[in-house]
Amino acid sequence: MSFRFLLRLSLLAALIAALALLAGCGSDDDDGDASGTTEAPAATTTTGTDTGSGSSGPSIRVGLVTDIGGLDDRSFNFLANQGLDRAKEQLGAEGRVLVSRANSDYVPNLSTLAQQDYDLIVGVGFLMAEAVETVAEQFPETNFAIIDFSQAAMETKPANVRGLLFKEQEAGYLVGYLSGLLVAESAGANQTISSVGGQKIPPVDRYIAGYQAGAKAANPRVKTLNGYSQDFVDQAKCKEIALNQIARGSSVVFQVAGQCGLGALNAANEQNVSGIGVDADQGFLGEHVVTSALKKVDVAVFQTVQAVQDGSFAGGEDSVFDVASGGVGLGEIAASVPAEIVTKVKQVQEQIAAGEITDIPETVGSG
Amino acid sequence: MTETPPEGGGKVENPRQGGDYAPSVAARVAVWHKAGGIAVPLLTTILAFFIGGLVVLATTGKNPLTTYKAIFEGSGLNWFLEVGSYEIGIPWTESRVWFPWDTSFNSFAALNLQQTLIVYVSLVLTGLAVAFAFRCGMFNIGGQGQYLAGAIMAVWIGSELPGLPGFLHILVAIVAGALSGAIFAGIAGFLKATVGAHEVISTIMLNYVALWVGVFLFGLGGPLQNDNEGGESVPVSNDVLEESKLNVFWGDPLLQGLHVGFFVALAALVVYWITLNRTTLGYEVRAVGFNPEAARYGGISVARNYVLAMAISGTFAGLAGTLDILGWQFRLNTNDIFINSIGFVGIAVALLGRNTAIGVALSALLFAALLVGTSTRNLDPEIFRPELASNLTTLIQGLVVLFVGADVLILYLFGIRRRARQRQARTQA
Repeated sequence: MSFRFLLRLSLLAALIAALALLAGCGSDDDDGDASGTTEAPAATTTTGTDTGSGSSGPSIRVGLVTDIGGLDDRSFNFLANQGLDRAKEQLGAEGRVLVSRANSDYVPNLSTLAQQDYDLIVGVGFLMAEAVETVAEQFPETNFAIIDFSQAAMETKPANVRGLLFKEQEAGYLVGYLSGLLVAESAGANQTISSVGGQKIPPVDRYIAGYQAGAKAANPRVKTLNGYSQDFVDQAKCKEIALNQIARGSSVVFQVAGQCGLGALNAANEQNVSGIGVDADQGFLGEHVVTSALKKVDVAVFQTVQAVQDGSFAGGEDSVFDVASGGVGLGEIAASVPAEIVTKVKQVQEQIAAGEITDIPETVGSG
Repeated sequence: MTETPPEGGGKVENPRQGGDYAPSVAARVAVWHKAGGIAVPLLTTILAFFIGGLVVLATTGKNPLTTYKAIFEGSGLNWFLEVGSYEIGIPWTESRVWFPWDTSFNSFAALNLQQTLIVYVSLVLTGLAVAFAFRCGMFNIGGQGQYLAGAIMAVWIGSELPGLPGFLHILVAIVAGALSGAIFAGIAGFLKATVGAHEVISTIMLNYVALWVGVFLFGLGGPLQNDNEGGESVPVSNDVLEESKLNVFWGDPLLQGLHVGFFVALAALVVYWITLNRTTLGYEVRAVGFNPEAARYGGISVARNYVLAMAISGTFAGLAGTLDILGWQFRLNTNDIFINSIGFVGIAVALLGRNTAIGVALSALLFAALLVGTSTRNLDPEIFRPELASNLTTLIQGLVVLFVGADVLILYLFGIRRRARQRQARTQA
């Protein structure tokens, strides 16, 4: 019996030994690292990415920190990462993406990159604003950029931060112009278009204000409807609002509510009216999506990386991306849209780019 | 949970008496508590990591040990292995003494460890919140709601009442936060005690109450939305005032260093142990947990203990929310309220920790290390793809919970071997 007891004891010992082995794997290499240099963790994270400096400027290291939306949000985290990928490909930059899973990740993610001497650190989305501001103050030598938040709106106005803003109203104006012409063509007496917003926050507001102004410019008789879902995720909410608008006569639905807005486009599909996508080109959803209002976060990231590389990056101010710079614009236009409408919209796009249309409003009035 | 004497759980053979020795029920329970109580969670964890490793292998084709090593290093626990000769300052003095570990900014491990310990604070407390109710025979799934109740109260008190001296302000905020957690959980206890509403249902529903109250308060146009310049379009609360922020004793206060709430969490573990094992209240709570009918027969008010146990549970969870706000978060965004799930991880912590103080202390460390270690900033994209990293935590977490529930299976397997041995011994004889 005591033999059995010993057997079981040795089994337990073996188990503990296995555990110790697991821990030991960690300890061995750590000791090696620690004896070498304290910067070892930084070195390990970048091994194997030292290739592809085929372009003109010096190879730079770019860190991208997403907000809690994650990389597959099909919106600006996704687009920002695309921009970084392009910079890696075309500019030979080294890139590292850190996904934030909770808001407690923002500051450690940003400061980890800063500590590892990255040349540019991009924070994606206005949720990161406070974290970017705090970390930028602690690392005044590092370049930071933040998407959708103005450097001028930061309390301490750090000189090493650049805000990357978009003139969403110009993209909104273009899709609004297209919708205005579209209803003039088809809807007869009832000429109504509508928009579904997530929340009345500045970027959403700019899109919708531009949309309404564009539609009115194209077709003074047009009636506009607008509603907010107070949500950016739940598709059912946006669908309900869109269905309501369609019941009230809307024949074009513009979604400005991220994932929630896909429900609005779905409603347009069901009711056989036209839909307009937002941020990314959402034409892949089907023929009912006549076009999309694009906000090219990827372009913004790419151009910022380029600026850091050729030394023209300057903190302490904002970059504004508009139609002229190609930062916002139109997605692919569906084949069902008549050619003369497409031509007219393209003309308006050129006018905006040339600075001939400047009085596009940024906020939606009442009604 | 498993209070019945398991079939052959543990090493009960007494060599002096040979193979015929039959331990009493009490002896078996005692041994089970000592040996089985440690062995089963350990086996559970190892099994969960093993299967997690298989998943890593299947999805990435990389050696799972490399991934686990990276997670270990990412959690900062390797800091303890980097022994050298360093100095550390003594609080409130200028003098410095020798210290075996590097506490300065040169050590990345130290920075990671601070993050792990920040998460540890909230996991210990939400774990205790689940564990305490468990000991009274109740399953508190409302840790998340109670955590939010504490956080909401803390952000409100912390951002109001200017002019209050710092120490008092923090104290008021902590007491109010813990109390609101207690009241919130107490509702569920009260409903169970009076009308018999099952606490699982009521705490789950109360989670939503806390969530939507928070969204209403800090959302657009909400009564506690921030009054920053240009902030009317941002659904976030005001920041807590400077003087009500907790002191950071390790790391950079501006870069999310470790706050003194860490000691509160450690103290809570001690309080938990003392309350359960050395007070009348704890005795009654455990008696009700073992068998409410017997407790009632013994003159213990079951209803009172239900309410009290839930309230104490809620205090722990409310404290977690309060310390997170005052320690590092400083504000509440409606998105944070949706995304946060620390109260739910607390359930896994309590389950794996078998509702004991030491168990919760250890399993909270495991889960905190997993949560921080699988963060993409710590995992080399070459080793593990950033898109998948955080799912690994969830996976291991799910497996742990699954196997904790399946401890009966492990005991059953032990039992088969024991019976086979006995049969063998009999035939030999």
